[in-house]
Amino acid sequence: MITLYDFELSGNCYKPRLLMSILGLTYETVPVDFYPGREHKSEAFLKLNPFGELPVLVDDGLVLRDSQAILIYLASKYDKTGQWYPLSDPAVLAEIAIWHDFANRITATASAARLGLSMFYDVDIEAAQAGAHQLFRLLDEHLWFGEREGRDWLCAPSHPTTADIACFPYVALSEEAGVPRQDYPAIRRWLDRVKRIPGFTVMSGVFPAGPAIEA
Amino acid sequence: MSELSAAWHPIASSEDLPYRHVFHGQLLGREFAVWRADDGNVNVWENRCLHRGVRLSIGINEGAELKCQYHGWRYANRTAGCTYIPAHPADAPARRITNRTYPVIEFAGLVWSAAGAADAFVEPLQEADWFALRPIPVTATPEMVRDKVVAAAEPGSEPVRLTEFGYSMKLAGGRGEDAAVFIQPVDAGRAVIRALLPETPAQPLATLRHYNALLNALREQIERTAREAPAPEPIEPEYEPVSLELATMPELRLGTRTSIRVRVARKYDAGEGVIGLDLAALEGHLPTFQPGAHIDVHLPNGLVRQYSITNGPGEQLHYGIGVKREPESRGGSSTIAEAVREGDLLAISEPRNNFPLRRDATRTTLIAGGIGITPLLAMAKNLFGSRLEFDFHVFARSQQHLPFADALERFGDHVSPHIGLDAAETGRTLEEIVGSYSFARHLYVCGPAPMLELVRALAARNGWPDEAVHFEYFKNTREIDQSSSFTVELARSALTLEVPAGRTILEVLRENGVEAPSSCEQGACGTCLTKVLEGTPDHQDVYLNETEKQANASMLTCVSRSLSDKLVLDI
Repeated sequence: MITLYDFELSGNCYKPRLLMSILGLTYETVPVDFYPGREHKSEAFLKLNPFGELPVLVDDGLVLRDSQAILIYLASKYDKTGQWYPLSDPAVLAEIAIWHDFANRITATASAARLGLSMFYDVDIEAAQAGAHQLFRLLDEHLWFGEREGRDWLCAPSHPTTADIACFPYVALSEEAGVPRQDYPAIRRWLDRVKRIPGFTVMSGVFPAGPAIEA
Repeated sequence: MSELSAAWHPIASSEDLPYRHVFHGQLLGREFAVWRADDGNVNVWENRCLHRGVRLSIGINEGAELKCQYHGWRYANRTAGCTYIPAHPADAPARRITNRTYPVIEFAGLVWSAAGAADAFVEPLQEADWFALRPIPVTATPEMVRDKVVAAAEPGSEPVRLTEFGYSMKLAGGRGEDAAVFIQPVDAGRAVIRALLPETPAQPLATLRHYNALLNALREQIERTAREAPAPEPIEPEYEPVSLELATMPELRLGTRTSIRVRVARKYDAGEGVIGLDLAALEGHLPTFQPGAHIDVHLPNGLVRQYSITNGPGEQLHYGIGVKREPESRGGSSTIAEAVREGDLLAISEPRNNFPLRRDATRTTLIAGGIGITPLLAMAKNLFGSRLEFDFHVFARSQQHLPFADALERFGDHVSPHIGLDAAETGRTLEEIVGSYSFARHLYVCGPAPMLELVRALAARNGWPDEAVHFEYFKNTREIDQSSSFTVELARSALTLEVPAGRTILEVLRENGVEAPSSCEQGACGTCLTKVLEGTPDHQDVYLNETEKQANASMLTCVSRSLSDKLVLDI
């Protein structure tokens, strides 16, 4: 059984929940009181993850941290279609690595501003918001040209990859960070597409999309 | 700003509005929810649900209705009228629950709107194969963005003013085209540069990238200057009070009022003995309706008849009705058959809904007999569009008699036609269809009286509660006993009136200057439904179900009378 050390309001914990839901995996969660209890800095949790960060995934005795690493592991091991992390395609793997890194930058800005606003973390909220807007401009441009090139997702393949899962949560939660998405229409359309992936699941603050029009 | 708010500005590219998406727009401080319905119509609405103020731009575009993400209130394409409130599943929403709409025109690949009562739209460009570049939002005042854009003209060229915020110009570093560049004034400190090229370039993608880089650089330069001054306060839009028409209570005597004029846009054969009519708005759209609603149609010979609207959700440009040609017509159907032609003008009432559709059923069963299909057709279109579980049983004398057969085809497996059954076979089939009750199922039936009686009896016998069985009679065939005389006290109006034998309560109310709504005036449609505070009504209608009749808490004043000496009504 897969075990996820989880905090309900965490976008990083939502990433593996989302992928496992799409892949139809069953798992159990261990709630960690990230806020206000700071349990992720407790002695017990630090033994599991010395970095003191969520999420942590345990599978078959293997203990993994870092949300993107967990996505790579889950997709490589459990995705029978081989689409979510296409091991045999070096170009796509490199592309995914770029967007996994981009996801971390979103965490450092949009998520940081959200932590400052909703969980009273000591962050420079304005600087974090400005950083998020810079990233969203790049993301919107990438997605806008993607639509012109017939590419619906972050990476080249005609299907989503772990890159989309990694970038989705803190973009979708950006209103909670005081980062409106009004100026990013292509991002808003991409969010709809991610929400229409079969098996998609929501978290608090992320709302579902309706079905697409039938052809 | 008042002049500016009457001016048309682009607020989106056409391609920003794929089907089933809601675009988040803004103009002069006003936020918009912008969405394209499946019929292609673009809606520009105030970005606010009338219920709890949540942004509709996070709502769900269902193709014909926009559903608020918060409590599921639904608003119709074109009218923005509320069609369904999940917390009141058995009721039709009041017509006053209508969101604010803004004018909209799609022109030259852009979606144009205005932040207030708009001037007439004057095409700012010649008709051409305009090619929209990637829009560039800029954090700076619209005036500064405009001035900097004008200053970015190719040296030696002269920008030509198209609108207050639009220029025809060659951009420095561009490819020599005469671009049309519009600055959308989003807010006091925000704008969007929306540029068009006069034709699709030979290499569209390369051209888009070229101009995107050019405009990105221009944005950097503008924003660098803008950061030197403090950001202006956002505009606080003045929201006008809602229109007088919506703010005032609707007139009560809707039933006899010819409030809307329509044109017969199409008259067609909708099955053997059935005439289909499309009654179109003279301009714009018709009022919001919900499935199950009917209208009064005022015929050229002075008669008034009720017909159910057959439209699907969001179809607001016309009302479709079906009229059965009655061999023993008293002047209604024969007038429509013989005297009403395409192009004629008719007067109709606003739609009223006394047969509302719940959308919280686990399974909905619709049973139609003959022309009774009309309200159920609207319901089926609604359920089908929202992917709700339903089965639709249609009884007809022959395949040719099946009304609206074309419209039924799209429902696929949901539809079961029952053709040419005799009385015994019909009874057996209905027994199978009704079956036993299970939780959260709802049954809707409309057709000839004997069929309704049978369905209601079968449902009662099989454990269906009255509130799960919804029916609509064509007419009340009961003989009305008008022999009683009694006193009616009107609690709100502080009037006491005597109702003599041979007169109806409704007539006595009107003779005494009390306005009351009505429509069919034979105890079938439910429009005159009135709350009873005291006394025992003598129910003679076919609108209320048995539970409602026994509760004695409401009555129809057009036919029902009193068993007690006195009735106290909430009028």
